[in-house]
Amino acid sequence: MLLVVIALGFSMAIMISIPSGIMANQEATQNLTENFNSTITDMQEEINKTATLIECQTSSGQGFPSGAPTGMPRFGSRQEVFVNETIGDEIRSIEGVKDVVPFFQKSSNETTSETMNTPRGSFTISRPLYTITGVCLNSSFIDSYSILPTNVTSGRNLRDGDTGVLLMSSNLSDYSGVGVGGIMTINGESFTVVGIYEPTSQGRIETRMVCMNITDAQTVTGQIGNVSRFDVYAEDASYVDEIADVITATYSELSVTTYKDRLTQLQNMQDMYNETLKNAESTLSQTQSVAFQEIVIAVVASSLIVLFTMLYTVRERTKEIGILKAIGFSNWNVMSQFLLEGIFMSLMAGVVGVAIGSVAAPTLSSLLLPHVTMFGTQRLAGSFQGPGNPGVTASQTATATLDPQLMLLAFGVAVLLGALGSLYPAWRASRTSPMEALRYE
Amino acid sequence: MSDMSELVLKTEKLDKVYKLGGRQVRALSDVNLQVKKGDFISIMGPSGSGKTTLLNMLGCLDKPTYGKVILDGIDVTKVPEKRLFKVRKYRVGFVFQTFNLMPYLNAVENVELPMEGTKKSGDEKRKRARELLKMVGLSEREKHRPHRLSAGEQQRVAIARALANNPAMVLADEPTGNLDSKTGYEIVRLLGTLNIDQGTTIVVVTHDSHMASRAGRMLFLSDGRLLAKEKQGTHLMEKALTCPNCGREIQPVDTFCPRCGRKL
Repeated sequence: MLLVVIALGFSMAIMISIPSGIMANQEATQNLTENFNSTITDMQEEINKTATLIECQTSSGQGFPSGAPTGMPRFGSRQEVFVNETIGDEIRSIEGVKDVVPFFQKSSNETTSETMNTPRGSFTISRPLYTITGVCLNSSFIDSYSILPTNVTSGRNLRDGDTGVLLMSSNLSDYSGVGVGGIMTINGESFTVVGIYEPTSQGRIETRMVCMNITDAQTVTGQIGNVSRFDVYAEDASYVDEIADVITATYSELSVTTYKDRLTQLQNMQDMYNETLKNAESTLSQTQSVAFQEIVIAVVASSLIVLFTMLYTVRERTKEIGILKAIGFSNWNVMSQFLLEGIFMSLMAGVVGVAIGSVAAPTLSSLLLPHVTMFGTQRLAGSFQGPGNPGVTASQTATATLDPQLMLLAFGVAVLLGALGSLYPAWRASRTSPMEALRYE
Repeated sequence: MSDMSELVLKTEKLDKVYKLGGRQVRALSDVNLQVKKGDFISIMGPSGSGKTTLLNMLGCLDKPTYGKVILDGIDVTKVPEKRLFKVRKYRVGFVFQTFNLMPYLNAVENVELPMEGTKKSGDEKRKRARELLKMVGLSEREKHRPHRLSAGEQQRVAIARALANNPAMVLADEPTGNLDSKTGYEIVRLLGTLNIDQGTTIVVVTHDSHMASRAGRMLFLSDGRLLAKEKQGTHLMEKALTCPNCGREIQPVDTFCPRCGRKL
């Protein structure tokens, strides 16, 4: 009997774990949706920005990728060429141009000689000690375009109005031993270090950088009025080609790059997010239908357990039934006796089930509904770290928990199953002939 | 000889035919029996003579193939199965060879069992059950479960249970069959006392001639027929019981002589 109650209890535990798993799954999907929606919104913003960007680089100057303007100039010793910054004003007056952001970049005069170990052998290279980057610190630029390094690890970032100060990459700080608050001298001018940032890793050799107000950079390098690059933003993505053509035609010293590829990439990624969301939803609905089947099986199994146990009990107690009938119990008395026993057994099982369920619901539901845990952690997290992605990793783990309502429901189901499963055995008991039952041993 | 109204039970041409593997076995044939109020009747016969079949018929546990069983003026063969439980509950009390107590209920609860579903309140049931247990001499053992009672005590509880709803008659099927002769004798005396003191109508089926001889009337059953010969029993209570030790009069329910304390 105890075994039966425990077996039945397991069955009931399954019955309550599944809905709790489903509920958790639903919640996870919902969280995921919210998460994704905000990611997609962010992405849309980036798409809008990227789509309207026209990068104008001085022809033989060093390119550096968009999205990390103060990032890494490509390593090498090409000649650095500058254009007059007044070109920026001219470009701004082209129809359809919304904004022009100038950048200045120049290698330091000092160079270092370094030995690198690669799998193909050791190389000794000579390169500039660091690169000076000048950024236009007008608050409208800082706020609208991502022109400053993002991961400042100590001190503060640059801000509007900064002059005589600089932001230093961590590798330069390590190399030179100058920290926040220290003084760095460039071409005889002193700058206070206000912050250190961690350069985003690109390639084996990271360029050491200092980052400062564009005017300071121009002055200290003797390049007053000169710039290395303009980031031109169009009013609308549809103007980009036209503007690019005009710039190319007018300024031969500028090489123009637009970001159609990047745009496609972003859009693909957005599609992927949407796709995954759809998958998540279909997974949920699949899981729900699996869960429904499993619940049906659990219910059927439970009623069968009750049925067979009660049939066995009735058989075992045939003699008792005979006695009860001989001393004047009615069919209904006998039947209700066994019905009540079945319900009682089922209720006990319900208690066991809730006990097991409250401990093991997460495990059970993840066993029974394989999608529940796989969901957030594996399938989704990996897919979304595309290049240049804002970096949202949507990961949701569904954890099943029991709420009191579910427990109450479980007891209700227990009573129902007990009644259902013992109906036939009880009926049979009530129909037993007392004379034959008395003879039964 | 007697007024019809005094008849508790009457059978008319009672026939019972069983089918055993295609073969017809006639368990009872043309049994005509009359039991008056206050009778103590024993029915004797060898195994397979139809004793138990007859008793089952009288107690509405089985239906005759032919004939009538008139209990308290009602032809119970005409009562539909669904309502037969009322006849069993209120008009007859069964005592079995194997006692058939509920193992998970104590003595008092066993006695209360037939009163389930009657109009009596819980307290009334308990009071009645205690009275009955006192009557059979088991006041001290009310809370004992069957497995903690001796065989004789169990049978006493069973007799108390049979009397619970004040039935028209008590039907006992080999009540001493599972008891040693001494304990059996106690049960016989108890039934006798009930018959004399309470006027309980008793029909006993037995092949214990000692038991049978204590009844007021002895009937003989052979091959399903009631034999014409009928004996007057030496009714237990026609002679006063005396203690074999001190010679004082004793009660049938006494297990010890109240005077000299000797175990009876």
